[in-house]
Amino acid sequence: MIWNTKDILLYFQEKKYIDTAVIPLLPVSFGEDAKQEADQAEFIPLVTALLEKQFKGRMLLLPPYTYFSTESDEQKKNRLNEWTTNLKDQGFTHVFLVTSDSFWRLAEDEMASELIWLPSIPMEHMDGKYKQKMIEDQVSQLLKIVVGKWQKN
Amino acid sequence: MSNQRVSRRQFLNYTLTGVGGFMAAGMLMPMVRFAIDPVLTAEAGGDFISTGTSIDELSDVPTRVDFSYEQVDAWYTSEVTNTAWVYLDESQNVIALNPTCKHLGCTVSWEGRESDPNRFFCPCHNGLYEKSGKNVPGTPPTAPLDMYETRVSDDGILQLGQVVPNTIAK
Repeated sequence: MIWNTKDILLYFQEKKYIDTAVIPLLPVSFGEDAKQEADQAEFIPLVTALLEKQFKGRMLLLPPYTYFSTESDEQKKNRLNEWTTNLKDQGFTHVFLVTSDSFWRLAEDEMASELIWLPSIPMEHMDGKYKQKMIEDQVSQLLKIVVGKWQKN
Repeated sequence: MSNQRVSRRQFLNYTLTGVGGFMAAGMLMPMVRFAIDPVLTAEAGGDFISTGTSIDELSDVPTRVDFSYEQVDAWYTSEVTNTAWVYLDESQNVIALNPTCKHLGCTVSWEGRESDPNRFFCPCHNGLYEKSGKNVPGTPPTAPLDMYETRVSDDGILQLGQVVPNTIAK
């Protein structure tokens, strides 16, 4: 399900079946990483959208968690932890964070949710067919991770 | 030159009728066009999309067929890819099932779980469907999988149309 009017109404009806939340994490800045971060903002939403399409009935895809990469580490982590705490209180037993920002890789141990880190792939020179194939390959890996996590508990 | 002289009155009559006629037509044509518009619209349900898959490639085992088309949402055009599970039944009819789970809309896949051969499996809440798309009782789905209208083009390429309720599940 997506965070939109139609799906959110369905969510409240079928709440007991939806126990998984997905948050894309997207950095913004105007420093030297700007291009690379813009790549992520293109790549990550495509991945999460396809992931949601596969698991529509058990998964809520939230709007991306965005932050300036110049924000302090503490602030980024605390605010995200706030998100996940709220989600867990709402009954989401599984919270997946999907990102290409290496910051979270280092902070992984401190996060109370499952971090899925993907290397960002710049897509500006890819044609449609190839792009689609590439996203599908990436997502098929994610599907295994998610199903694996579901089966564990 | 003809001998008939055109009088001033005749000349004015002709020109005014001519110009007036054009003006009247300019007003009436759009009105008529609007009035008969519903008759002229193409039937939306008649669109078939070519999958690029030849029917020679199909067998009695469901195979995954992806097909894409352009979708316009306000000013944003995107390419949408859909999937169908396609196989041939006993009398060689093409059956194309829509893999959207009837429970909450996840995507099911053929033999998606090893313990359930010859069935469609939904990973979200362990829904199961028979090969015909019939939902297995005792699993969350309450209705059989929908089907696509199918058509085969002259050169043997499979084309898929609208999603329709399942007609083969018994």
